[in-house]
Amino acid sequence: MRFIARFAQELSDRFEVIDIYDKKKIVTPVDKHNPILPTLTRTYPAAIWFERKIRDDFGIDFEQSFDTRPLVHHERFPNIHPMRKDFNKAIDFAPFRPYPYERIEGEGIFEVGVGPIHAGIIEPGHFHFSQEGEAILHLEVRHFYKYRGIEKMMEGFEPFQGFEIVQKISGNESIAYQIAYLLLLAQAAGVELDENVRRFNALLLELERLAHHLTDLGFIPNDAGFAPALAYCSMLAEDTRRLLKKICGHRFGFGAVRGETLDIDKKAVQDYIDQTRQKLLFFKEWITQIPSLWDRLDNTGILPRHKAIKYSTVGIVARASGIALDRRKDGWYDQFGFAPLTTSKGDVAARFTLRLEEALQSCDLISNLLDFSKANTPLENFADGEYVSFIESSLGEVMLYLRIQEGRIDRFFARDPSFVNWQALHLMMPGNIIADFPLINKSCDLSYAGNDL
Amino acid sequence: MIRFWQKRLKEGIKTQNLWADEEMAAIKKELRSQIAKRFAGSLAIRMVDSGSCNACEAECNALSNPYYDLERLGIHFVASPRHADILLVSGVVTFNMYHHLLDAYKQLPNPKWVVTLGECALPSSFAIKGPVEQILPVAHHIPGCPPEPDDIIRGLLQFIRKIQ
Repeated sequence: MRFIARFAQELSDRFEVIDIYDKKKIVTPVDKHNPILPTLTRTYPAAIWFERKIRDDFGIDFEQSFDTRPLVHHERFPNIHPMRKDFNKAIDFAPFRPYPYERIEGEGIFEVGVGPIHAGIIEPGHFHFSQEGEAILHLEVRHFYKYRGIEKMMEGFEPFQGFEIVQKISGNESIAYQIAYLLLLAQAAGVELDENVRRFNALLLELERLAHHLTDLGFIPNDAGFAPALAYCSMLAEDTRRLLKKICGHRFGFGAVRGETLDIDKKAVQDYIDQTRQKLLFFKEWITQIPSLWDRLDNTGILPRHKAIKYSTVGIVARASGIALDRRKDGWYDQFGFAPLTTSKGDVAARFTLRLEEALQSCDLISNLLDFSKANTPLENFADGEYVSFIESSLGEVMLYLRIQEGRIDRFFARDPSFVNWQALHLMMPGNIIADFPLINKSCDLSYAGNDL
Repeated sequence: MIRFWQKRLKEGIKTQNLWADEEMAAIKKELRSQIAKRFAGSLAIRMVDSGSCNACEAECNALSNPYYDLERLGIHFVASPRHADILLVSGVVTFNMYHHLLDAYKQLPNPKWVVTLGECALPSSFAIKGPVEQILPVAHHIPGCPPEPDDIIRGLLQFIRKIQ
């Protein structure tokens, strides 16, 4: 059974901790006066961030947990539990409490701290290395610098208004988040999404995937010192963004998914796909002939299959380690010629080639998805209840949870694919040198904004 | 490699030619001459994200792609705040980034300016310390969610005009 998420919510008389697995959902009531629960981390190591977050958010403790440090609450965060219903105010800085990093001690072993502000145009996050000379012994990933409190922010809004916030959770996955949210609202309204709307949404999702994969196809070789690939692929990515602007009026698709199709220029999309496919095939032939590049990519940052499974990884990271895990594998996508792609080696080269193949696959899917006509699915009269939805974004599986009470959002929870994949990043480090870290990190290309929420 | 150069020669230069868009051409020309005059031909920008959704960063990265190729106007994104003239800040300022943003600002040598990017129209939250203008002296704001690469170029020109 694959562990997906663990999160809590507050009801009038109790807390509830909800565990989501791929095949079932378990709800455990927790006493408000004695909030304590057994840990899941002995079976599912990826549960540790979830449990640390629940402790910060609600003050629920976990028995026999191997890590009780705060996660979201940094050094100057006051001792509060902001997701509780009775918390609703501004907070001020508390005295500085140092954060105990995971350390490896021994003769000649030293620590390297990187971030939160990095040397590039990139989001903030902290990486803490324990080094033996060049070799990485251990990496601790510490994030949540961008913690904006999105989950709390959503509470109290009418369900449809939630779109405005959801689309700004993570810019690279905006369309995926909007579609996942639309799926929640469709469940709440008790309607089936129109087939044409589904196709239109899937088309946008593939365009978003293309834009993201193309950017990465440039950045990964660039981090190995091969800049021409970045120049070439960033051009293709720019073409994709411009196409998105042309068909839905926004380069990142903000506001494009609202349960209706837009009148798009199908010929422009088809022309773009034909050109991009040609350019990608050229890129593939060109890049495979650069031996000095593959010297860096091959056997770097290996994530073995059994560890990828144990740590509940998703998306490219899981598929490059040989796990055929893709939310598009739901039967509906088959008619457009979809089959999940995997490679088995689990190194940077595997993740790079997989991105390339997926980008080509997205081109084919888009061509087949173009066959739709004008339609819309009315979304109104949302029934109270609890809803869960999944979508395969360019980073992996996104999970959203929504609880509606008296016509308003009572609890919103989002599990970004990065939230589990960040926890598996340190597994790829031992045996590599610190100079390869940016390359390994980029090959997974995880989101900070979506992770931190 | 031979095929690459054949293709390169066949397709020509991809950077958007200045004659393609007269308005942008005039803006870029003026920007370049202003930078030459005011910043000795080199304007260094340090970008810090203090709580955006990453779309602003993606657009800043796009500025370096061959279509825009910002470096030809003399604008560089630099790795250290100590090399920078401008601190370009995107997003809201989160509780957890507040002190790190102030640290970065302190590291900029004088004269220094803060330019903000984008409009994160998010509802208020306990974890957000506010928009950047409440925390740092902002010299110029580039609107848009996210501002497109052309908007950023336009915004930088307006900024340089403003500080004269």
